[in-house]
Amino acid sequence: MVRLITHNLLACHVKGCNANNFPLEFRNVELEIREAEFNPDFVKGFLPKIEWKALVDTARQLGDTSLPEEQPEMLDDDFLKNLHHVLLEIHVEEGAMVCPNCKHEYPIASGIPNMLLAEHEIA
Amino acid sequence: MAPKKLEPVHIEASEDPASFEARNVHEIYDAIAAHFSSTRYKPWPIIAKFLSDLPTGCVGFDSGTGNGKYLPLPSDRPGAIWTIGMDRSRNLLEIARHAGSAPERPRVYREVIWGNVLDNGWRPGAFDYAISIATIHHLATPERRKLAVQRLIQAVAPVCGRILIYVWAIEQDELSKRKVVDEEEAEKIENGKDVMVPWVLSKNLAPKPVEDTERPEVYNRYYHMFANGELALLAEDAAEGLGLRVGAPTHGQSGQGVEIVQDGWERSNYYVELRRWSI
Repeated sequence: MVRLITHNLLACHVKGCNANNFPLEFRNVELEIREAEFNPDFVKGFLPKIEWKALVDTARQLGDTSLPEEQPEMLDDDFLKNLHHVLLEIHVEEGAMVCPNCKHEYPIASGIPNMLLAEHEIA
Repeated sequence: MAPKKLEPVHIEASEDPASFEARNVHEIYDAIAAHFSSTRYKPWPIIAKFLSDLPTGCVGFDSGTGNGKYLPLPSDRPGAIWTIGMDRSRNLLEIARHAGSAPERPRVYREVIWGNVLDNGWRPGAFDYAISIATIHHLATPERRKLAVQRLIQAVAPVCGRILIYVWAIEQDELSKRKVVDEEEAEKIENGKDVMVPWVLSKNLAPKPVEDTERPEVYNRYYHMFANGELALLAEDAAEGLGLRVGAPTHGQSGQGVEIVQDGWERSNYYVELRRWSI
């Protein structure tokens, strides 16, 4: 599965690709929305570890514009619910993730991303 | 039934360890995935406790997740932490993807990644914790086992990132179906032992129907069985190789390090818990 919680943690790992290798860019995606139980304490706890700009930009590319450019100071319920939805309810089922730097393509099939590299690409 | 003594294996120096593992580990898990998964459902107590002690909001990864049996934990606080599973076997991932789903209820979705434990496909230090259970013993050289531990260290936060590793021990307990070496021999071994562990595939879970007249299919998986003390040394060596100090932080001295919080033997396995620190 690639939800945005996972996407926010992944980076390109092709040999020599060490800069500008995050976030990976989604291509030709098929999305599925699945409801997940809302746990505000989990969302609040994870918030400080999020690369915020990457998350907001990627959500917008996938058609979700509910998150503000900057993290708000007040963490109200509406904000946490939107963040929960973006992180945990949008599933990328098919498509690919492309490295912005080296353009390596990581395919996604049946909800599972393939992060394996060929022998010569491994660092 | 008396425990069965395992076949030792010698890996030739000319052999490429990656292709050795592909033949003797990866292909086998893909073939036995469904049957293997049906035998792996009970979490080990120390691992369950490790996950249960993590504060709400933590995100971690499971390197070599197999059928994903640790992804739903902790069971008393579902959804409080989030574990992402990674494995080399695509067929096991199909199972891990829905780990913890109850029959006749909507399927649960987990986050799983098809990847190699030696790769480094994460933002550095992105995770609060990492676990690697019964995985590193499938790597065919000491260098590769060390690299696998280094990938775990690199994946967790330099401040307080926690790691738990389990591997099979040469000392198997009395309940084990397996025996690696005799007791007297075990005490002399410092660097573990390479063996093949047979898997007898249950016929009704085999990928294709097996004729009754045929013998059951046996798959031999490669394992490096760890000796007493070997895992902790490997962890220290891995940390030092990354330029990290080993041991507790020293007062008034700045730097980064890795501390061994606990290590021991539990039911035929050795385990080690590490914590990163930065001052």
